Amino acid sequence: MLFGGAFTSEPLDFDVAKVIAVSSEEYAAIVARSNSPEQTSEIAPLAAPDVPQDVPDLSSEADTAPDAPQPDPAPEAAPDPAPQPPTSTPQAEVTDEAPEIQPPSQDMAAMVPQTSPRPQQRPAERVAPQQVEPPAPDTAVDDVVREQAVPDEAAEMPVDEGEATAPEAAATEIVTEAEEVEQAAPLDSIRPKTRPQQLRPAAQTAETAQPETAQPETAQTEASSDPAPAPATDTSSVEDALAAALGGTAEALAPSINAGPPLTAGEKDGLRVGVQNCWNVGSLSSDALATTVTVAFEMSQDARPIEGSIRMLDSTGGTAGSASQAYEAARRAIIRCGARGFGLPTEKYQSWRNVELIFNPENMRIK
Amino acid sequence: MMARFTALLALLLTAFAALPATAQTGPLRLEITEGVIEPLPFAVPTFVATGSGGQAAQDLSGLIAADLSGTGLFREIPASAHISRITNFSSPVQFADWKAVNAQALVTGSVDVDASGRLTVQFRVWDVFAGQELGAGQQFVGTQDGWRRIAHKIADQVYSRITGEGGYFDSRVVHVAETGPKDQRSKRLAIMDYDGANVTYLTDSASLVLAPRFSPSGDRILYTSYETGFPRIYVLDVANVSRRQLPTQDATMSFAPRFSPNGQTVVYSLEAGGNTDIYTMDIGSGASQRLTSAPSIETAPSFSPDGRQIVFESDRSGGNQLYVMGAGGGEARRISNGDGNYGTPVWSPRSDLIAFTKQSNGRFHIGVMRTDGSEERLLTASFLDEGPTWAPNGRVIMFTRETQGEQGQAGLYSVDITGRNLRRVPTSGGASDPSWSPLQ
Repeated sequence: MLFGGAFTSEPLDFDVAKVIAVSSEEYAAIVARSNSPEQTSEIAPLAAPDVPQDVPDLSSEADTAPDAPQPDPAPEAAPDPAPQPPTSTPQAEVTDEAPEIQPPSQDMAAMVPQTSPRPQQRPAERVAPQQVEPPAPDTAVDDVVREQAVPDEAAEMPVDEGEATAPEAAATEIVTEAEEVEQAAPLDSIRPKTRPQQLRPAAQTAETAQPETAQPETAQTEASSDPAPAPATDTSSVEDALAAALGGTAEALAPSINAGPPLTAGEKDGLRVGVQNCWNVGSLSSDALATTVTVAFEMSQDARPIEGSIRMLDSTGGTAGSASQAYEAARRAIIRCGARGFGLPTEKYQSWRNVELIFNPENMRIK
Repeated sequence: MMARFTALLALLLTAFAALPATAQTGPLRLEITEGVIEPLPFAVPTFVATGSGGQAAQDLSGLIAADLSGTGLFREIPASAHISRITNFSSPVQFADWKAVNAQALVTGSVDVDASGRLTVQFRVWDVFAGQELGAGQQFVGTQDGWRRIAHKIADQVYSRITGEGGYFDSRVVHVAETGPKDQRSKRLAIMDYDGANVTYLTDSASLVLAPRFSPSGDRILYTSYETGFPRIYVLDVANVSRRQLPTQDATMSFAPRFSPNGQTVVYSLEAGGNTDIYTMDIGSGASQRLTSAPSIETAPSFSPDGRQIVFESDRSGGNQLYVMGAGGGEARRISNGDGNYGTPVWSPRSDLIAFTKQSNGRFHIGVMRTDGSEERLLTASFLDEGPTWAPNGRVIMFTRETQGEQGQAGLYSVDITGRNLRRVPTSGGASDPSWSPLQ
């Protein structure tokens, strides 16, 4: 009573929701409506045209042998007389002197070697950045290469038996039926020339060779006497150092919430390769292949993408529809290849917790 | 001195970059420029059947899968590998089971056949890795004998929702069906589904027929017939197979007709006095207009989809080359520049490419080039390939391939515009001169 006027109580906040009570039958009807497809199309069967089904008359008369005059029977041939054996076998004349071999003339025209087709890639159902040879016939196809696991009886914990896996065969570009075959590698070599008949005397050769061998020494001396050239890479080395320290221009740092030691170039490449191996653009339309999308997502500490965080930040070069298709393909790539984790160092988690990937299909349009 | 300074600077910068709190202040940003091109794995578990729709459910599911696999863009995961079974069309999809078999797209559906024989088919398309539906569910109703068409329509929807471009399964192909030996071959017009099913013959084999071409709406067909002894152009109504001859002049030959995009005009070649030129004719009035007047042979005209330009072949520069001119005639610019002879150009329905036949070094090719002649790509190579026609979505080309020798026979083949997925279109006998209809 004393402090009644001083402590006035504020009314508590509360939400008001409008509720409509429905019966169980009405609710069942609503659910059934949401489960049923939204569009209905009536398909009328195509009316077959009223065509007189004319069967072509392809029968033909049986061939008859032409009336040709029969040749007169040939007279019987007289039996051949029996061959008479030679009276005496001629003896070969053998001499001890070796025959003289005529060396080929020096100006003999060189034969053009036969060449084999330039090696070509085998057509493969998969086109990937790296060429992959077809796996062994019994090997299962998987993105990850695994040796066959065999149970080790000596081990304390038995290892489950597992089949070997290998990636599917891939070519680096589409190989069409019309690819021209270029001749390149020789199939055979030219027969080596015979040794010259008259060799130079050894002494004369040594004399003539001496100045030639001495020449490099002179040249080396001259070179060493020259002042050392000024390093031409002074400016570029500074730029290189800057680029190396900043991690390259394509991977510019945008302001965001990551804060941690940077990934090495190898670790970044690992993530890049990990995603691009699952970025399948084979089923994208031409418009979607002309669209670059930027996709952002967050990763958990085991380097797996958090699916709910994947979103499209930006798109260039296409329509809204093509951007949507390109984004779907990019999202599939992130989820598929991220399912096993991207293998990034945990101690640098703050550096790769938030990722922005720019999916640029320009190179894929000309495969 | 300078080198030491550089090394010191690099060291400082590296140390600066490695500072934990200030080294990286933004998200890790990488550019992906290389991907893979491979068929997208999908699954079509047999649709759930109600009523007496068991057989129809199997047939429909199988044909949808065959349509998609036939594009070369998709690879079906066989039913033997499925972990989940779809027993109720309205039940939630177990995405984990489909992820485990690497199915990236999933098509579920139900089939019902009522007492009157009406077929009701419902379907949904799922993005397995996103765990969500692609587009909305849809339902088709038809008669039982129209089940193939329903399956093609569903496959078109699936194709469109995954790739972002239209399909081509619910379409037909008119062609010349050939029977008999090579020197005594009979030819007649035939129409069939894009996959070779449901063949119907449109003409008899009494006279030679050539080069059938669909109208843009698919209701009429232009073709050339030697019924009168001279090649003459006819228009055939697909629904009732009635036909009429287009007006022509005496002692001339008219051939190689094609519709304009609005279906009201025909562009064709006419030979008179030893010279062949290109003309247009209004189908309604029969009035014709001459577009070229060169002493050389101009033939095989084809309109651009916007109706403003015509591509054709001509030997005005010696060998056969491709030229583009305005729809009203006038000066033409040459667009083909490679070695060999070019012919039978056809403008893509997407306007971006022109397909053609090329003869070079004793071999025939089907190829594509940009409309300015750039980026020529040869897709096939054989003894005789010719006469390309575009699928309604501009992604696939069908053409005639004839094998060598006395027993050689013409057949129809299709190939993706990338040069992949070359395959023979099944026909009961010989077939040539295909023309692809628009989507129905």
